[in-house]
Amino acid sequence: MENIRKSSLLRGISYILIPIIVFILVLCVVNEVLVRQYGNIGNKEEYLKTDQFAEEYYISVISNVSDIKEIEYENSNGIEIYNATRNYYKKIENQNIYYEGSKETRVGYINKGINYIIKDKNTGKIYTNIQITELDKQIQELKNSSVYWYYENGEIKTNIDKISQNNVVYNYGITYNDYDIYSSFNIDNMIEYMLKDPTYAIYSKLNNISQFFNNKLSYIIPIATILLAVIIIYLIWSIGHEKGKDGITLRSIDKISYEIIIMITWFIIVLLICVIGGASSINSRIPVDFVQSAYIVSYLGIYVCLLIDVITTIRRIKAKEFWHSFLVYKIWNKLRQKIDEYGGKENSTKKITFFYLMFLAIFFILINCATSFLGLVLLVAFLVWIYIKLLKYNKKLNEVQMALRDIYEGKDDVYLDESEQKGVLKRMAKYINDIAGGFSNAIEQSLKSERLKTELITNVSHDIKTPLTSIINYVDLLKKEEFENKQVEQYIAILDNKSQRLKKLIEDLVEASKVQSGNVKLNIEDINLKELLNQTTGEFEDRFEKKNLKIELLVPTDDVIIKADNRYMYRIIENLFSNITKYALENSRIYIELKRESGKVKLSIKNISSEKLNISADELMQRFVRGDKSRHTEGSGLGISIAKSLTELQNGSFDIEIDGDLFKVILQW
Amino acid sequence: MYNILVVDDDKEIVNAIDIYLRKEGYKIYKAYNGEEAMEVLKNEEIHLIILDVMMPKKDGLETLEEIRKNKTIPVIMLSAKSEDYDKIEGLDLGADDYVTKPFSPLELIARVNSNIRRYTKFGALKENLNDKTYKTGDLFLDDETKKVIADGKEIKLTATEFKILKFLIKNKGKVFSIPQIYENVWNEEGYAAENIIAVHIRHIREKIEIDPKEPKYLKVIWGIGYKIEDIK
Repeated sequence: MENIRKSSLLRGISYILIPIIVFILVLCVVNEVLVRQYGNIGNKEEYLKTDQFAEEYYISVISNVSDIKEIEYENSNGIEIYNATRNYYKKIENQNIYYEGSKETRVGYINKGINYIIKDKNTGKIYTNIQITELDKQIQELKNSSVYWYYENGEIKTNIDKISQNNVVYNYGITYNDYDIYSSFNIDNMIEYMLKDPTYAIYSKLNNISQFFNNKLSYIIPIATILLAVIIIYLIWSIGHEKGKDGITLRSIDKISYEIIIMITWFIIVLLICVIGGASSINSRIPVDFVQSAYIVSYLGIYVCLLIDVITTIRRIKAKEFWHSFLVYKIWNKLRQKIDEYGGKENSTKKITFFYLMFLAIFFILINCATSFLGLVLLVAFLVWIYIKLLKYNKKLNEVQMALRDIYEGKDDVYLDESEQKGVLKRMAKYINDIAGGFSNAIEQSLKSERLKTELITNVSHDIKTPLTSIINYVDLLKKEEFENKQVEQYIAILDNKSQRLKKLIEDLVEASKVQSGNVKLNIEDINLKELLNQTTGEFEDRFEKKNLKIELLVPTDDVIIKADNRYMYRIIENLFSNITKYALENSRIYIELKRESGKVKLSIKNISSEKLNISADELMQRFVRGDKSRHTEGSGLGISIAKSLTELQNGSFDIEIDGDLFKVILQW
Repeated sequence: MYNILVVDDDKEIVNAIDIYLRKEGYKIYKAYNGEEAMEVLKNEEIHLIILDVMMPKKDGLETLEEIRKNKTIPVIMLSAKSEDYDKIEGLDLGADDYVTKPFSPLELIARVNSNIRRYTKFGALKENLNDKTYKTGDLFLDDETKKVIADGKEIKLTATEFKILKFLIKNKGKVFSIPQIYENVWNEEGYAAENIIAVHIRHIREKIEIDPKEPKYLKVIWGIGYKIEDIK
C-alpha cells in the first residue's frame, strides 16, 4: 500500500491520464450536444427525410422572395436603403437576370446546398444563384433533381412530402404568388461547406467514431467519470508522499508564497483562455487543423497550470503549511516578531494595544464593505474567527490553570506541553513545568534519603553485631565460671541481660527502619485471621500462663479471610502479644475480639497495663520517628511502631486507645 | 573425635567458639580468612566447617564455592547479615546451615552436633528404614517402634504429639488448618480445637527443631495452617 502511495510512476501516469480522460469526456459530451444541434446530418438519406430539413429548406427558398421584393422596391423608388442583401444581387445588363453574389449571403448551412431560379411574373426578371446559360434547360434540370421544390402556375411540386402543396401551412408572411420558383438541393454541396466550420468538422469526425462504435459513445461518459474520480482520489491521497521519506515532502515550489503561485498560474490561464477565444472567433479563414492544434496546446497549458495549483495546495494542506505559506501570513508573522522585539514580550500591553488597533482597522474596513454580500460574509467570518480564537485562548488558559491547581493539590506528575502553548502562556507553561519538576524532584530526594537511612542503619547494625557476638559469648562463658565474690555474679547477670537487650534492639531497629521506608517485599494471599489468632495464642500460651493472664477470645463462627502477607501478619500479632506479656497486669484478662463491622474486619486487643501509662497513644506509635520519651526495661520499644507500619503496608489501619490503665489496640482491614 | 574448622576474621569469636566446642569434645582448627581455611583443609581431615561470610582476602562465599568443588563436608555459615536473601544465597551455594550473629552459643553447639550426626551416622540410620517409617530430610518417624529421630537424635514425644506429627509427615508438603488436624487426629469435629493444637505444635517444634522460630521441618503458615516440609 505504502509503495503504491509513494510511486512517482503511478502519479506520473495519473497526471497524463487526467487530460486524456477529460478530453475523451469532453468529446463525448460535445458529441451528445452536437448530435442535438446537427441531428443526423452524418447520414445523408436520413437527413433529407427529416422534418427539420424540410422546414428549413422551405424557409430558405421562400426567404429569397422577400429579398427580391426589397430589391425591386428599392429599384422602383430609387431609394438607397441599406440592405446587406442588395449588395449581393448583381444585375447582368440587358438580360434582366440577377445573380446572388455568393452562397454565403444567407446565414444557415442549408442555403449552401440550394440552387434556385426565381422568375418575377410581372416584370419577367430572373433571380438566381447559379450561372444562367440556357434558362429553360436549367429550369428543367432543377425540376429533375433528386431533391427539388418548385412553384409554378400557383402550384407546388416537390418530392419532399412535408412541404408539398397539401402540407404547406405557413408561408412565414411571404407571398410568392407573383413568382415562379424553381429550386433543388444538393446535400454534398452543403456538407462540403459545413466542413469548413471547426465545430462541424469535430462533429463529423466524432460522428465517424461514433458510427464506428455503433453509437455506444454515450456509455463512455459514466465509465470515464468514475475512472477520473478514482484517479483524483488516488492523487489526493498520494501527493506529497515521496519514496524513502516519511511524512510530507515539500518541493521548492511549495516554499513560494501561495498567493504568488496562484497569481502566476492564473495569469497564464487567462492568457490561454484568450488564445482559445481568439482561435474560435477567427472562423474559417485559418485552417481548421491549426485552430485545433491551438486549442489543444492552450488547453494543455491550462491543465498544467491548474495541476500545479492543485498539487501545491494539497501538499501544503497535508504538511499543515497551507496558511503559513500565505504571503499575508508571513507579513503578519514578521510584524508580530517586530512587536515582540519592541518589548512586547514581557509586558503584553503594547501587544494587546496593537492587536486591538488591528482588530478595529479590519473591523471598520469590513463594515464599509458590508453593503455588498461578499463584504457581509467577510465581516461575519472575521467576527466568528475572532470568537473562535478567544475560545481557543481560553481553553489553553484553562489548561494552565488546571496544571497550577494540580501542583497546589500536591500531584507530582504535572506536565504541560510547551509546544502547544503560545506567547505568554508558553512562558507560563515553562515556569509551571519547572516548578512541578522541582516538586517531584523533592519527593524523589526524600524517598532516596529514606532509602539511604535504611541502608545506613542496616550497615551500621552489621558492624555492631560482630563485637556484640563476642560480648554475648564471653558473658555466657563468664556465667559458667565460679566467683568467690557473689557480687560478680550479679554484675554478670546485668551484663547478660543488657547484651541480650542490645541484640534485640539492633534487630528491631533494622526491621523498623526497613518497614518504615516500605523496603519490604509483601507476599499477599488469603489469610484466615481466626486461624492466625488461634495459632498465635498457642505460641504464647506458656508465656501468658507465666503471668497468669487469661485470654478471652471472641471470634465469629465462620472464617475471617483478609488479604495479607502471613509472616508479616504474624509479626504484628506477635509484637502486640509480646508487649502484653511484658506490660499487662498480672492475673488480669486479655480481651481479643474479631468481628466484621460495616464491610471491614476489625480486631481489637484490650489489656490492663501494670504500670501507669504516661505516654500518649500518638507518641507510642511514633517513637521511632520522634525518639523515646520513657525507656522501658524490656524490649526495644519499637514493637508497636513496627506493627503499625506493617499494618499500614498491608492496607490496614492501626489505632491505639488509652483509657486510664486500659490499653486498647484496634486493627482494621 | 571429630575435627572442626572455625573460620572468622574476629579472633575473639573464634576463641569463644573454640572454648564451647572443645567442651563438647571436638578438636578445633582455626583460620582467620578464606585462604588460611583452604590451607588447613588441604592438610587436615576436617569433619565440619564454621565459616564467616565477611572476611578479608577471600570471603566466606568464595571459600564455600571452592570447598564445594571437591568436598561434601557440612558447612555452617556465620554472618551478621540476617536478611532472607543473604541466607538463601549462602544455602544456594551449598551451605548446610546458616547462623546469624549475634548467635547464642547453645544454638551454635546444637547445630554443630546435629550436622556432625547427620554427616557421620546417616548411613547407619538408613539401614533401619522399613515400610512403616516416614521421612523428610533428616526427620524420621517409625510408626512400629514409635520412635522419632531428628537430625540423628532421638526425640521423645507425647502420644498426642506423635499422632499429630505422624499425620503431618504422612501428608508431608500439604498444609492443614487447626480444625483439619483436629478432625484427622481425633476423628471428631474440631469445635474446641482452638489453640490446643497450636500449643502441641509449638511443643513438637521445640523438640524437633534446633531453632523453633525458624523451623526446618514443621513449618507454620500463619493464618492458614501447618505443614511438614517435604525435603528429599
